[in-house]
Amino acid sequence: MTSCGGVGVAVVPGYESRILPQRERIRGAGSYRRTMTDAAQPGGQALVLRGLAKRFDDKVAVAGVELDVPVGSFYGLLGPNGAGKTTTLSMAVGLLRPDAGHAHVLGHDVWADPVRAKQLLGVLPDGVRLFDRLTGAELLAYHGLLRGMDPAVVDQRAGELLDVLALDDAGRTLVVDYSAGMKKKIGLACALLHGPRLLVLDEPFEAVDPVSAALIRDILQRYVAGGGTVIFSSHVMAVVERLCSHVAILADGVIKKVGTLDEVRAGRSLEEVFVDVVGGRTATGEELAWL
Amino acid sequence: MAVTGPGTGVAVTGSTAGVPAVAGRRPVRARHFVRLKLRVMGNNLRGQGWRIALFIGGIIAGLWFAGNGFLILAAPGFVDSEQGMLLAAGFGGTLLVLGWLLLPLAFFGVDETLDPARFALLPLPRRTMVTGLLVTGLIGVPSIATGLASLGLVLSAALLGGPLAGAVQLVGVAAGLLLCVLGSRAITSAFAGMLRSRRVRDLAAVLLAVLAALLGPLQLLVIGGLGNADWDQLAEVAGILGWTPLAAPYTMGFDVVDGRLWAVPVKLAVTAATLAGLYRWWSRSLESAMVGTASGGPARAVAAASGTPVSQLFPRLLTRTPRDRYGALVAREVRYWWRDMRRRANLITVAVVGVFIPALINVGGFSAFTYDPDGSLDVGLTASATSVSISMLFVGALAAVTLANQFGFDGSAYAANVIAGVPGRLELRARVVGFSVYIVPLLVVISAGLGLFLREPGWIPVAAGTLFAAYGAGLAVNLIVSVVGAYSLPETSNPFALNSGAGVAKSMLALVAMVASAAAAVPIVLATALLGEVWYWFALPVGVGYGLGAVALGLYITGDLLDRRMPELLATVTPRR
Repeated sequence: MTSCGGVGVAVVPGYESRILPQRERIRGAGSYRRTMTDAAQPGGQALVLRGLAKRFDDKVAVAGVELDVPVGSFYGLLGPNGAGKTTTLSMAVGLLRPDAGHAHVLGHDVWADPVRAKQLLGVLPDGVRLFDRLTGAELLAYHGLLRGMDPAVVDQRAGELLDVLALDDAGRTLVVDYSAGMKKKIGLACALLHGPRLLVLDEPFEAVDPVSAALIRDILQRYVAGGGTVIFSSHVMAVVERLCSHVAILADGVIKKVGTLDEVRAGRSLEEVFVDVVGGRTATGEELAWL
Repeated sequence: MAVTGPGTGVAVTGSTAGVPAVAGRRPVRARHFVRLKLRVMGNNLRGQGWRIALFIGGIIAGLWFAGNGFLILAAPGFVDSEQGMLLAAGFGGTLLVLGWLLLPLAFFGVDETLDPARFALLPLPRRTMVTGLLVTGLIGVPSIATGLASLGLVLSAALLGGPLAGAVQLVGVAAGLLLCVLGSRAITSAFAGMLRSRRVRDLAAVLLAVLAALLGPLQLLVIGGLGNADWDQLAEVAGILGWTPLAAPYTMGFDVVDGRLWAVPVKLAVTAATLAGLYRWWSRSLESAMVGTASGGPARAVAAASGTPVSQLFPRLLTRTPRDRYGALVAREVRYWWRDMRRRANLITVAVVGVFIPALINVGGFSAFTYDPDGSLDVGLTASATSVSISMLFVGALAAVTLANQFGFDGSAYAANVIAGVPGRLELRARVVGFSVYIVPLLVVISAGLGLFLREPGWIPVAAGTLFAAYGAGLAVNLIVSVVGAYSLPETSNPFALNSGAGVAKSMLALVAMVASAAAAVPIVLATALLGEVWYWFALPVGVGYGLGAVALGLYITGDLLDRRMPELLATVTPRR
């Protein structure tokens, strides 16, 4: 954990080490946890991942991820397919038990103190179904009441969300009959309904049409402007470049590059940096002459 | 698009390089389809031990069926019964053909290894497609098993009528097999468009559940009925069937045995005409099966929703439930038991079987049904309070075992509850209540109905008491099983699809759960057996109390267990490809 912490922090220039002084982090788990309560102060970290690791049978999906998401940032988690983005985010929100490591949401350990941590989280997971035998309105009501919200508040907010996301003409259609874009929108609505302080979204723009994507972007930007924090994963450069204040590039289960958008780009385009970091081939050369 | 090859300095413009040269094309033959199918089957099995085991299990089941079929169909030859051969050929052939025609509809498609839709984008002539798919249809466990089974008829014919009969029957069996495969393909293609609609599949699933539940009692009825069968009448029916395409190819051998050689070419003509007709029908419907998969069908006009979201979530039944976390969980469960087709199919199975099993156990077998000369039905009753109690024990255990994999029904959607951090005990209590909203009225009806059917209203409290005790005990056992022994179900709407391999082992688990729940409620049955008439007054309150107590205990134990295991449970019930 020591070396991971060193690598995670040292390579990124401009890291705000005044929040978590590197010296103290190296000292050990006990003192680290004490330091965490300082981080819960305003201006601290919305999400802190330390040494998260997960292994499925023979394959190592995540091999020690270190991440610090500052409060009020718009964080993009970039990576190729199979990099471990979904696995990392699932471990961070309590959906998948990590083999090692810790995740803290606004100072609360997700695995040791799940009740408080989950209250502050809003999640749009990828690769899981919704309760799709309900209509959109019923699903929102379910999620709202499940969070312990007052029914009147649920009604009001659900109505507004359905209206804004253009889902209210769906009427009595079950979510199972929704298009892929509509499912993303209703999933986002379910994540937003209880007014969380940290939004964790896994591929929120996948299969979403441009109009809905613009709408979702607007909602998220307003949310961040209002004091929330968003971390989302994607493998589309344009979206990340447009929206994010901070970027982390994840490949082969580890964070390869992290920092603010400008730091990571360092004058080039994000795509070039990405290809550099991740590797792989982008030109065909002499082959495919028959094409 | 201009491409400059490095080192050559020559720019190749798009106009000459754009059209790829078509190399000498070789015609596609049926053997390519065969190789494709075998390769796909092989890849499906690769690396997964339990799938290979299941495949071998399937082969064994096929051989078992083939062997039984062979013996049944060959039996008339050994006992030298010509009438028997007619019956075997007529009814056996009809059953085979009908089974091939109807079962694929039930299981939503024949052998999806080579789904016609996947060939939609290939430039294949229609005849190649049809021939190829037909040949691949003949290679597979079901068709080989059918072929082997029907060879029994060949043996019968040869034993009864000499080599000529045997040879004719062999031709007939081959034609019959072609008829089965072609007929099933034609029907599934024709229905392919309909089967793609989710609503049709949901409805079909419900109908199937009812039919499947009736299958058991139906078998018993048939076997019982065989005792009093009028063989001559049945032989006539078999003879008539022998002229229809359903059994024409299979009864040709019998005609030779019977001496009516003129019937053979006629039946061959009938079969050939049917085959030609099916071939043409399939060719035409194949296209509809291939295309149109991408779109979801016409957009249906949707009724507008009325009321606020919260009031929409809670069905009218639950107007008095508090609008909080617990209420939301119960409301969703209540909605889901009706709207999710897999769950609804299970409910219906419980309802149907729950009515039949007590009747069977308490009515002493079907020899007890006798017909008076004036046509009324006398039912020989062998019921006693104890037998009623025992039958109720099984019904209660059966009702509760529906919950043995309750998290599997939700699949990965359970993630929503994990993210919200729902406490385990609350979640389980809500699920039990949601399920009981449907089951408790059903149990009341069953116990009251049984008591009235047996004309012993005094036994109704005993029946109800045992039933609720067994149901409660079963719930307790199945709560634990659902958390510890959950497994994932595939994400199709077919209620009978199991994620092969694991499903077989886990069905065993459900069986064990049933036995355990029955065992847990045995004290009530013992009380009925030993305490005599006094017990009738106490049976209902004691039984209900016993059941409630068992459920409370189960919730207490399992609630903590679930709290510790939520992510692991989610991982177990999430289907993995």
